[in-house]
Amino acid sequence: MSSLSRIGAVVAKEFIHLVRDRRTLAVVLAMPVLQMLLFAYAISFDVKNVSTVIIDTDHTPASQAYVRSYQSSDFFTVVGTAGDLSAVDRVFDHNQARIAVVVPSGFGRTLADGGQATVAVYLDGSEPTAARVGQAFSTALNQVYGQRVTIEWADTQGLDVTGFGQLEPRVRTWYNPEKRSSDFLIPGLMVVIIMVVALQQTAVSLVREREQGTDEQLAISPMRRWEMMVGKVTPWTLLAFLDLAVITVVGIVFFHLPLRGSTLVLALGAALFVFCSLGLGLVISAVAPSLESANMLGLLLSMLPAFILSGFAFPLASIPVALQVVSCLFPARFMVTIARGVFLKGAGFGELWPELAALGGYAVIALGIAVVLYGRRRR
Amino acid sequence: MSLHRIRLLMWKEFLQLRRDPLLIRLLFLMPILQLILFGYVVAADVKNLPTAVVDLDRTSTSRALDASFGASDYFVVTQRPAETELQRLMDTGQISIAIVIPEGTQAALDRGETAPIGVIVDGSDSQVASVGSGYASQIIARFNADRMAAQGVSVAAPGIDARVRVMFNPTLASVNTMIPGLVAAIVMISIMAVMGQAVVKERERGTLEQMFVTPIKPVEYLIGKVTPYAIAAVVQLLVVALVGIFWFGVPFAGQISVVVVGLVLFMLTSIGLGLLISLVSHTRQQAQQLMMLLLLPSFVLSGFIFPIDSMPAAIQPLSWFIPLTWAIQILRGAFIKGSGFEALSTQFWVLALFAVVIFGAAIVATRRRLTE
Repeated sequence: MSSLSRIGAVVAKEFIHLVRDRRTLAVVLAMPVLQMLLFAYAISFDVKNVSTVIIDTDHTPASQAYVRSYQSSDFFTVVGTAGDLSAVDRVFDHNQARIAVVVPSGFGRTLADGGQATVAVYLDGSEPTAARVGQAFSTALNQVYGQRVTIEWADTQGLDVTGFGQLEPRVRTWYNPEKRSSDFLIPGLMVVIIMVVALQQTAVSLVREREQGTDEQLAISPMRRWEMMVGKVTPWTLLAFLDLAVITVVGIVFFHLPLRGSTLVLALGAALFVFCSLGLGLVISAVAPSLESANMLGLLLSMLPAFILSGFAFPLASIPVALQVVSCLFPARFMVTIARGVFLKGAGFGELWPELAALGGYAVIALGIAVVLYGRRRR
Repeated sequence: MSLHRIRLLMWKEFLQLRRDPLLIRLLFLMPILQLILFGYVVAADVKNLPTAVVDLDRTSTSRALDASFGASDYFVVTQRPAETELQRLMDTGQISIAIVIPEGTQAALDRGETAPIGVIVDGSDSQVASVGSGYASQIIARFNADRMAAQGVSVAAPGIDARVRVMFNPTLASVNTMIPGLVAAIVMISIMAVMGQAVVKERERGTLEQMFVTPIKPVEYLIGKVTPYAIAAVVQLLVVALVGIFWFGVPFAGQISVVVVGLVLFMLTSIGLGLLISLVSHTRQQAQQLMMLLLLPSFVLSGFIFPIDSMPAAIQPLSWFIPLTWAIQILRGAFIKGSGFEALSTQFWVLALFAVVIFGAAIVATRRRLTE
């Protein structure tokens, strides 16, 4: 019997296991779709429509004009007005609003007298991202409004206002002008899903063989070690590629994800990345004594780095240097750069060769370690 | 109910756990690893964005604007390229934001016109895009205000003096909200992950049937089975809370009783979910996958990592059906805002309802299975 037919036999056996365990198969196929729906629909990094409560104790035309500048802003959504200051505490304690603007009485009179009218903007810091952006926007809004007041006043005083030219930011967002988080997340999600399917399932399927004692039966069969490993990982490789294709197609068709770069680079990157994940999965299966610890190790080495240390959702530029080094120890980070580069930036070999080389090197090392560890275990 | 039998069962669980030393080590490594990853990576605040300034104006105004970007904590001006270079720098990811000051900016300002300033942000990194453009607008607005003040007009002129104050978390450190959330998340992960598996394992090996023929009663079985894992979860959450308070400097403004009651209710819910998973699964593999299927939406939709406020209005109601949402609100309220039972009463009632329904269903289902 040739080694090809022996590998074919293992692949067939694995597929029988897979088909018999309908639930696992369903989960492996449903997981990417569920993740995609969750991440593409639920998550948005674009902070806007922050709930705001306005407490106007002045009730003058001047204060009402000031309040309108919040109502017309895209960033603030005025959800209510209140009469007295104690409302600030109540609103924040009950999570009814994230921002409270207080216009004190005397606001209109101070402005009419030519003075600096004080207003207070309170931000709920327990939601830091919203608060940070809210801080920036409310500061900018007040400065712009203040200048308008000043210029209007100078104009009525007959002063020359030509010196008061303003700079105005015109923000353009490249690659993703509507700031759709689905464009940003789906390429990264691909990486997370491959890692989970290829790594976790490989790790577990080999450990199970050992727990059930069937690996000894396989050891006395004429099968060589590498044949058995290739046969074992083939079904999961195919499933990983199937998931990959599903995500790409659903992303492009339903979420209008642009595919701007070279599909060849994406396919090459994905193939290398699948090999990296398989290598890691095999290493785990060689060191884990039980199914529980294989699962746990898989969680630690696949889920956590793929979600958190890959730049998939959290930018890596602001993290401590030591952790940046750690993030380079996992292949996910390079694959996220490749996927995002190809989909959004239209990048090709020219821009992405360092990442492809890193993945290639990683795949060779991980598979090498797996072969060595596996050999030692068998003996 | 016999305490002796419960103790024996707990001893058995402990012996079984000891046979897999790697698993024990991983159980203790888990919270520490999550602390590092969530505390330093997920809670990392966007700052020091690599920035390019393209100054086509080359006047004192444009240089002053350049300097005010450089002086900010949020931007690090790393490049001063030609405009044609921007595409390449952005494509390769060397910069994530670019400021373009067009020619004639100062001249336009002197004529009293509004001069546009180009702010280009890298939209392939959403967080950078939204936070970076906000900061850039703030810096330009402040620059305008400073220029006006320098004209000497504003001293006599009316204006707005806005006092922007952040309450509860004045440094705006994300880690202060991340750690209380992590305390709840770790309870859910460790209880569900280990407990769900433990019961299925007995079923897979057929030892569950042996258990029926012993004099042990369902309630005793449940308590004996749950206690070791509940203790492990408490140890883990204590580690997270203490490291959070003493290492990451997370303030604790509230009452301990609020946290304890909230966590007990949430633990009951998690135990119930773990039991239900193990009752419907035939193999450990299925239990593991079912758990992932439950954990993922919980993490994404509960506001643990991604704020519920930013979700589309149609999605937000989904988060109400997730127990973790309410647990996190209680813990954050207690840690950061110092809220008491009164302010958090809605959250407590909902969590209590979850605990009663889920834990109750789990007990009924276990009892049925054991007496069958």
